[in-house]
Amino acid sequence: MGRNGNLVAAAFVYVLLAPGPVRAENDAELRGLENVKQFTLEHSRALSAQAGLLEQALSTYAGTIEAHKGDYAAAWAASGPELSRQVANVRDLWLEASNRYETIEGIVAGIPEMAKYDLILDAGNPGTESEDVAEYDLTLPDGTVLPRPGNLFHGITEPLFWGMSESGIRLPADLDGDGKIVRGEMLFDANLGLGAARALAFWATALEADMTSWKPNRADAFTSVAVMTPTVGDYFGEWKESQFISGEIGAFVARSRLVDVIGIMSGCRKMYAEAISPVVAASDGDLDSRITASFEELLGLVEDTYAREQAGAEFGVEEADALGNEAQDIADRIVAMVLQAAAKNGVEIRG
Amino acid sequence: MKYQVRDHAPLLAVSSVLCIALLIGARLLWPPPPEPGVDLADIPYYQLPFGPDDAGLPRPFWPSRMQTENGRFADPAKIQSAADCAICHPREFEEWAPSLHAIAGRDTVYERAVEANEDLHKDGIEKARFCEGCHAPGEVLAGRTNRFKSVMPSDAETEGISCVMCHTATHADPVEGNGALTLAINEGTDRLSNPLLLAAPRDHARAFGAKETNALIAKGDFCGGCHTETYDTSMSKVEGRQHVQTTHAEWRDSWYAGNGVTCQDCHMAPDPAAYVRQIRSGDLAKPERYAHNFVGANYLMFNTGLGSNLTFLRGGILPGLSDARNTELIARQGEATRALLRSAAGLALRGSEVAPGRLRFGIAVQNLGAGHNLPTGVIDQKYMWLEVVVRDATGAEIYHSGAFDATRGETDPDAVIWREDFIDADGERIPDHLTFITAAISHVRTGVPPKGEDVVRYDVAVTSDATGPFRVEARLWYRVATQEFAYNTLKTDLVIPPFELTAAEFALPATDEARQ
Repeated sequence: MGRNGNLVAAAFVYVLLAPGPVRAENDAELRGLENVKQFTLEHSRALSAQAGLLEQALSTYAGTIEAHKGDYAAAWAASGPELSRQVANVRDLWLEASNRYETIEGIVAGIPEMAKYDLILDAGNPGTESEDVAEYDLTLPDGTVLPRPGNLFHGITEPLFWGMSESGIRLPADLDGDGKIVRGEMLFDANLGLGAARALAFWATALEADMTSWKPNRADAFTSVAVMTPTVGDYFGEWKESQFISGEIGAFVARSRLVDVIGIMSGCRKMYAEAISPVVAASDGDLDSRITASFEELLGLVEDTYAREQAGAEFGVEEADALGNEAQDIADRIVAMVLQAAAKNGVEIRG
Repeated sequence: MKYQVRDHAPLLAVSSVLCIALLIGARLLWPPPPEPGVDLADIPYYQLPFGPDDAGLPRPFWPSRMQTENGRFADPAKIQSAADCAICHPREFEEWAPSLHAIAGRDTVYERAVEANEDLHKDGIEKARFCEGCHAPGEVLAGRTNRFKSVMPSDAETEGISCVMCHTATHADPVEGNGALTLAINEGTDRLSNPLLLAAPRDHARAFGAKETNALIAKGDFCGGCHTETYDTSMSKVEGRQHVQTTHAEWRDSWYAGNGVTCQDCHMAPDPAAYVRQIRSGDLAKPERYAHNFVGANYLMFNTGLGSNLTFLRGGILPGLSDARNTELIARQGEATRALLRSAAGLALRGSEVAPGRLRFGIAVQNLGAGHNLPTGVIDQKYMWLEVVVRDATGAEIYHSGAFDATRGETDPDAVIWREDFIDADGERIPDHLTFITAAISHVRTGVPPKGEDVVRYDVAVTSDATGPFRVEARLWYRVATQEFAYNTLKTDLVIPPFELTAAEFALPATDEARQ
C-alpha cells in the first residue's frame, strides 16, 4: 500500500470513528431498533404471563368438571354459580391474552423466522387446508392428539369459550342467571379447553425465547409501525362502539380500550421517533415532520379523550363517532406516510 | 376610415397571423396536462396476487370487475365527497344519506363479515376487493384495499356508493356482474369550485350528467353490474363459476322487464310501496321523479327502536349529518322500507282436504309486488320462511311449523324456508357468510319468482278429539341475518328480529271464497 493508499485508509477510519451527522443517524437508528426489540420482548413476556393465567383458569374449570367425573349436568347442579364465574374468568383472561398478542402480531408475522408462531397462535389454518397451516399437533389431557388442528386463539379457543362451535358445547346453561339460556350460555369441553390453554402457554413461551435472540433491523421497524398503527385504530374503534352499544345487546369484545390505545400508540411513536425518523429525516425532512406531528396529534386526541373519560365525561353517539373517525383517519394518514417513506428508502415491508 | 383600414390592414393581418402562429406554437410546445388519476407504479407496496389478465395486463381491482375509464387509480383527494354535493343538492343528499348505498362500505355488519373473511387467507385483504368493489368502490379504485395502505385516506371512500360512483358510470355488464362497472371517475368530473359551478353550470351538468351516463344509470342493466354475483376460485373455493346473487337476471326474465318496469322505477320512486300498488293495478306510468333513497328490504338498518345500537350497526354517522338529522332521515326511510316489504307478498289456500284423521292443504306463497325473486340477493343470510298454525274448533293448537324462538333468535329448524346455503369443502353448511372458504352453493328452496307462487303442501295428523271447523293461520316471515352470523361475526347477543311480510287465516273445510 503506497502513500495514497495510506491516506485512503486513514480517511476511511476517520469516517467510521469521527462524530458527525452520518454517524449520529446510524447510532440513533440502532438505538431505536434496540428499543423495538425491547418493546416486543416486553409484550411477549406479558403474553406468556397471561397465557399462564389462562392455563390456570382452565385447570380450575377442568377440576370442577372432573370432581363430578366429567358429568357436566351434575357439575352444574352442584356448582353452577362457581362454574359461571370460572367461564367468565376464562373469557376475560382470553381477551387479555389475545390483546397482548395482537399488540405484537405485526412484528411476529412480519419476521420470517417468527412467522410460524403467528400461524400457530393466531392465523394458521388446520391441516385440512392446503396453505398457511399451523404446524403443530395438540395433545389433550386425556391423551387424545389432534393433528394440526388450526390456530389456537381464533381457530380453537375463541369458538370454544364462547360457544360458537356446536361440537365444543357440553351443556347449555343459564350462566348469567336471568332465567333464560341464550346463545353462548353453555359449559364447554374442559378437556379441549385445558389442552388448548396449555398449548397457548407453551407456544407463547417458545415465542418469547425466540424473540430474545431476534436481531431487529430497518425492515422490521418499518413493518411494525405500518402493521401496528391500524390495529390501534381498531382498538379506538372498539372504544367507540362501547359508547354506542347499550341496553339489550351485549358485545363480548366491545369495552373501553383507551388505555390500550395509549399504550400501543406510545409504542408506535417511540418506534417511529427512535428507529425510523432518523432514516426518513435524512431523505425527506418535511415528510418526517408531518409523520411526527401526526403521531403527536393522535396521541393528543387519545390522551385528551381518556382524561375526559376519567373525569366522568359521557360521550354521545355523534361525538364518539367523530372522535373514532378522527383517530382512524390520523392513523391511516400515518401509515400511508410511513409506507411512502419506506418506499423512498427502498425498505422491504413484510407481513 | 377607409384610408386607415387600407393603411393598417397589412400590419393587422401580419399581427393576426403571428398571434395565431404563437398560440399554435404554444399549444404544441406546452407540455400536455398529466393524465388524470394515479399510475399503478406510483402506489407503493400494492399487491397483485391474482396475476395479469389474458392479455398480460395487470388486474389492479380484481376479483372485483370494477374498472376506471382510463385504467388508472383514482386520486383519493379528488374523489368528490357526497357532503360536497349536498351544498347544492340537499334534497338528493338527504334522500341518499339514510340509504344502504350510503353505508354500504361502513356498516358494522358488513365490515365484520369482510374482516372475518380477510382473516381466512394470507391474501384476504386483496381478495376482499371482490366485496369492496361494490360496497366501497372509492376505496378500491383509490388503491386502499391492500394489506399495506400507502394511499392517503379521504372522506369519500367512507361513503360507500356515493354520488360520483353512479354519476360517472360509462359501462355496465350485468351478465358478468361482481361490480362490472366502468367509471370515468378520473376524467369524467369537472373539479370546479362552488363559485365556478354557479358561473358555469353547463360544464358541471356535462361532467356529471353526460348523455351516455344518464342513459346508462336509468337502466336496470346498470344495477346488474353489482346485483349479479358469482363465486370462483379468486375469492372462494368454488370451481368454475357459481351464481350467488341473480337479482338482475330474475328481473330481466320477468314480466316487469318485459313491460319496461325497471329497478329504478320501484326502488327510486318517491313512495315505492305506492308505486308497487300502482303497478299491481295495471298502471305502468313512470314515477313523477326518481328519489335517491334506493328503498330496499333491510328493515333492521332502519329500526330506530334500537337507539344508539342502530348507530353502531350502521357504522356511525356519515360526514355532513348530525345525529338528530340522521335519526330523522332513517326513521322516514324505515317507514318506506316496511311499507315496501308489506307490498311484496301474499298467501292463498290451495287444494285443501279434510279427511278422517288428516288435514291436507297447500299454502301458496305469492310474489305479488317484487320484480325479482322473493327473497333475492345473497340469501345465505337473508331468508324467508312460512309459519303455519292449525287450530281446532276450540282454538287449541294441533299443529305448528316455523315458530321463531325470540329468546335464542332461532327459527324452527324444520320450517319451510327459502334460503341458499354456503357449503365448505367438507360439505358442512357455513352459517356466517364466509365467502372465502365456500366451496359450493345450494338452495334449501329457491326464491319465488316475480308474479309467481310456490305452493307448500301440508299433511297434518288430527287426533280423534279434535273437531272442526279448523283454522289455518299462516305468516310469511323475513329475516336479514342468521343468529349464528350475529353471534359469531358481529360478536353480539343481539337477537335479529324477523319481519312479518304478510299473514292470512283460512278455514278448513275451505269456504268457496277461499277455494277461488
